[in-house]
This record gives sequence, C-alpha cells and structure tokens, in this order.
Amino acid sequence: MLTVNNLTKTFEAAHGTVHALHDVSFHVETGQFASIIGKSGSGKTTLLSLLGALDTPTSGEILVEDIDISKLSAHKQSAYRARKIGFIFQHYNLIPNLSALENVMLALEFGGMPAYERPDRAAKLLEEVGLTDEEQLRKPTRLSGGQQQRVSIARALANRPSLILADEPTGNLDSVTGKKIFDLLHSLSRSENTTILAVTHDLDIAGKTDRTFTLKDGTMTIGKK
Amino acid sequence: MNVISRGVRNALRSPVRSGAIILMLAISVGLVLAMLVARSSVNAKINEVKATTATQITINPAGIQGGVGSGDDLTAEQVKIVAGTAHITGVTSTLTDQLGSTDTNLTPSLTLGSFGKRQQRFETNDGGSGAIQRKMPIPRTSITGTSNPASVVTSDKITSGATIDGDSSDNIALVGTTLAAKNNLSVGSTFTAFGATVTVKGIFSSGNTFQDNGIIMPLASLQTLTQQPGAISSMTATADSSENVAGVVSALKNSLGDKVDITSQQEEAQNSLAPLENIASLALTGVIGAAIAGAVIILLSMVMIVRERRREIGVIKAIGGTNAKVIVQFMTEALTLTIIGGIIGLGIGVAASGPMTRSLVDSNTNTPTTGIAHQAGGIGSARGFTGGFRQVSSQLATNFKTINSTLTPQIFASSVGVILLIAIVGSAIPAWSIARVRPAEVLRTE
Repeated sequence: MLTVNNLTKTFEAAHGTVHALHDVSFHVETGQFASIIGKSGSGKTTLLSLLGALDTPTSGEILVEDIDISKLSAHKQSAYRARKIGFIFQHYNLIPNLSALENVMLALEFGGMPAYERPDRAAKLLEEVGLTDEEQLRKPTRLSGGQQQRVSIARALANRPSLILADEPTGNLDSVTGKKIFDLLHSLSRSENTTILAVTHDLDIAGKTDRTFTLKDGTMTIGKK
Repeated sequence: MNVISRGVRNALRSPVRSGAIILMLAISVGLVLAMLVARSSVNAKINEVKATTATQITINPAGIQGGVGSGDDLTAEQVKIVAGTAHITGVTSTLTDQLGSTDTNLTPSLTLGSFGKRQQRFETNDGGSGAIQRKMPIPRTSITGTSNPASVVTSDKITSGATIDGDSSDNIALVGTTLAAKNNLSVGSTFTAFGATVTVKGIFSSGNTFQDNGIIMPLASLQTLTQQPGAISSMTATADSSENVAGVVSALKNSLGDKVDITSQQEEAQNSLAPLENIASLALTGVIGAAIAGAVIILLSMVMIVRERRREIGVIKAIGGTNAKVIVQFMTEALTLTIIGGIIGLGIGVAASGPMTRSLVDSNTNTPTTGIAHQAGGIGSARGFTGGFRQVSSQLATNFKTINSTLTPQIFASSVGVILLIAIVGSAIPAWSIARVRPAEVLRTE
C-alpha cells in the first residue's frame, strides 16, 4: 500500500546542508498499524511531512497505491491530502471557531462530499469515536484533550482515507486517555482496513503496533514484531 | 458551511477587534464619501460659474471708468462686429443716463451723503468774474436702457409685475423698490422722463440701495427719449465657453481697435473661483488619503490576522484545503469587514457630507468673500452710477454660499468602488502571504 524508496531530504541551513532523511526505504501493507520511533531531530516529522505530501523530497519516491505522490502537482497533492490521507496531530489542530461537528464537516467539504450529506456523516463519525450529540456541538476549547483528539481522529477518518498519518497522537494525553485513543485507532485500522503510520515516543504503544520503524539521524532501521 | 460563510463568520470571530477595524474603516469610507460629495458639489458650482459669469466680456468706450472719463458712445456697427465674432453667443447693449430734477417728476429715494456730493459736484465760473463756485449737488436717478433686462436684474428680483422686453420701443420700465416707494409707484403707475410718460411694468428689489433707486427701460426706448439714436454706452458679450474667452477678447481687440476697452470677467471669476478650486483639490486629496488609509487599515489587519492564524492555514491545507479556498476564505473575511465598515461609513458620509462641505467652503472662502463684499460697496456704486447693476464679485460671493452638497448615484457608485478597491488592495498582500504558508509548518511547530 505504502512504499518508500530511497527517500532523501536535505535542507540548506546557515551552517551548511542538513540531511534530515538519508536513503530511507520501507513498505507498509494495507490495513497495517505501523509506528515510527526515534529521538527528537531524528527526522520523524520530516518523514511524516513527505508522506503526507506536505513537503517534497530531495530524491526518492513515495508510492501510495502505486502513485508517486511526490511527483503530483500542488493541486493534485491537495486532492490527495483531502481524499487519501488523514492527519492526526499531537496538538489536535482543530479550527477553534468551528464546533466539533463543523471541524469534521470541513474535511468532508475538502473531500468533495455534497453539503447536504456532510452533517449526518460527521455526526456518525463523532458518535463512533465516542462524542455525544451535545459534545459534537461544542467548540474545541470546551472539550477535553481526549475529546479533542477523538474529534481529530473523526476528522482524519472523514473521507475514508487509505492512509492515516498520526504525529504523536497520544503525546499530549494522560496515560489512560492515551491508551483509549490508541485502542480506538487500532480498532479503526482493523474495522476500516485503513493503514496507520504513527510517530511516537512511547515504546509501549510502538510495541503494540504491527510494525515498528526506527529513525536515527535520518536513517531508518526496520524492526518486525 | 462553505468557504464563503466561513469567511463571513471568521470576520466576526473577535468582536472587539472586528469592531475596531470596522469603526476605522467606517470613518475612512465616510470621509471618502463626504470628500467626494464636497468635490462634486464644488466642481458643479465651478462649472456653473464658468459657464455663466466667466464667459462674459465687457466692451466700453475707451477711456471710461466707472461714471467718469472720456470716450464716445459705441455704435450699432460695433455691435454687429461683436455679434459676428466667432464663439460669441449673445450681445447685450446698454445705454445709461441720469434723470435730473428737470427731467422727471420722480423724487430720488437716495440722499447723496458726503460721498455722493463729492461724486456729483462740479465747478463753474460765476458771471465771468473768474471766481470758481461749487454748486450744490442735486441727487439724480440712474436710468438704464438695455436690450436684455435680465442682464441687469434677474427675474427672481422682480417683486411685483413682470420683466420687460428689451427689444421693445414702448415707454415702459422696471423701477427699483425704494424709488417706487418714495414716489408711490406700483405696477401700472406712470411717471415722466425726458418729457414722456413711462408706464411701470414691474418693481424690482436688487438688494443694493443704489440700484433700487434706478430705472430700467428697453434700449430703443431710452435712446429715443434721450435723443441718442443708436447710442450705446456699454456692451456685454457672452462667449460659448470660458476656455474661448481669451481668444474672443483678442479677436475683438483686433476688430474694434483702440476705440474701446475690452475686459473679461474671466480673470476676476478665476480669482474668485480659486478658493473653490482649492477645496476641490483638497477634497480629492482627502478622497485619496482616506482611501489609502482604509486600504492600509484592512491590509494591516489582515496581515495581522494571517500571521496569527498561520497554524490554522497550515491545518486547512494539510487536510486538503487548496490555496484558492483559503485565499477566498480570507478575502471574504476582508470583504465582510470592509462591507460592514463601508455601509456604516456611507451612513456617516451621508450625514457628514453637508456640514463638511459647508465647513470647507466657509473656511476657504472667508477672505475672498470679505474682499468681494468690499468691492460690492465700492466699485458697485461707481458702476451703478453708469447704470450697470450686475456685479460679478457679489454674485460669486452669493454663489459660494449657495453650494448644495448632493449625493448623486455616481458619487454613491464611486464610493462603493472605493470600498471594493480598499478590500481588494487590503487583502491582496495577505492572500499572497497565505499562498506562501507551507502546510508542513503545522507539523514543525508540533
């Protein structure tokens, strides 16, 4: 489903060229829940940016369902992000002046769903991640961290993406809530047959995923369960 | 909710900040509208004055100034030459004279006073003794024969009766209000002048004490009564536009030679109009300044908003929002703020345009108006002595006070155009800034 071949990303900095990623290659099957672990500055975020078509690689290819997303035009990359990718952020990144329901509907709008279908679909998703009707109408500031992350997950799932990229999805939550969120993601990957690639510091969580990749100084080592 | 409704909703996301932006924009737009109204009203007045007063050319016998001097009457042949000159649209011929106590049964309504006595005294030798005596001056009544009575007293100054036909040869007259009161004259009354009976057709009130002691008759009638057939003491020619006045004056000087003095009111009108032109210029500067201020307000506000919401822009792009959608959303936000500010501003502008125009006119025309008032009392009396009632300066002074500020559909459309321009200029740079936000930034700040 996801194949990365010889991916390299370099940045020009004041002190010279920075090799954020060097010759990274790996493969994740459809429906697998994979994790990437590594220290700060190891290149985890850069890798996630490239996989999400938020940035372009210096060299190499990223094949999602056999399409090299790094070669797509900016407009097609937007469409790819809207329909094929779901993002889950550590700080949730919900739009503050929109309700939970509207945040999910926003993703549905970008995914091209007709306006009249969006409220039902968004409500159903939020219900699935455990938000009550009343909570769905709240703005993010009136939701707990765990609830906000659930909204973020619902938003990521909105357009039935083939790949969900999660950046420290439990990093901002207490351990109990973090476990619940992880379990939710895990069950979704199973029920929706969605591929999930999560960046995490938490080795316990990484240990429960189908595959684990370790990044060190921009170079990847592959581990198997 | 779509991109437009999100933009509209975002515009009111922070009520206090949005309120402040809207208020500043409203003041800016209000100022634009008020200045546009002021400029338009003043320009209309300038054009009106240029089309009327500034197109007149006065032709007098050479050597005459006020009621004194030398020179021979103008002739019918000269009138023909003037009337046939290119760009002349009309000629008014005037003959002025005075009615002494032996010429009429009327009693002048004016007492001479020290100034009048000085003007009318004359010297004579007494019985060949060589001794010079000064005779006691006698008040006289000025009488004007004109081919166009409206050029001397406009119809709105006629308080009873009706104006007279300048081409008539009947013994009919318009009589000044104080002279009529002094002699118990009313419409239909008669009086004697140069041995003939003259019928009063109308009473006028010019607002000038000297003029209201005068009589206006048809030119031919006065020429006959005074036994001066064909005599003309002054001509007023009207050019088709103020732009052609200088050329017409030059052509008339060539064709009439040095027997006449030709003066145009263009320069006087131009000088008198200078304050109005200053106001028009000031108003235009105000329009530009206020529009720029409005654009800068919305520009800085939107730049601040975009900077503040970089992460949000990154998130929207990360979840599939295109540059175009984000830009449209923020432009809608800017447009909403501008339109709300614009609507309030138009209200402010409508309310403020009248007082602002009056204030601008008053503050810029105080000095010239005072000067004109002085001229009306000084030169006016001298000119009145020769029978010319009309005074450019006093007319302009009155004109300045009658500038009406009017909000026309064109001005309204211009204001709306300025508002849209403000919104577009104000959101162009933020839009460019939005396009440069890379969605990857949202992850880098994690």
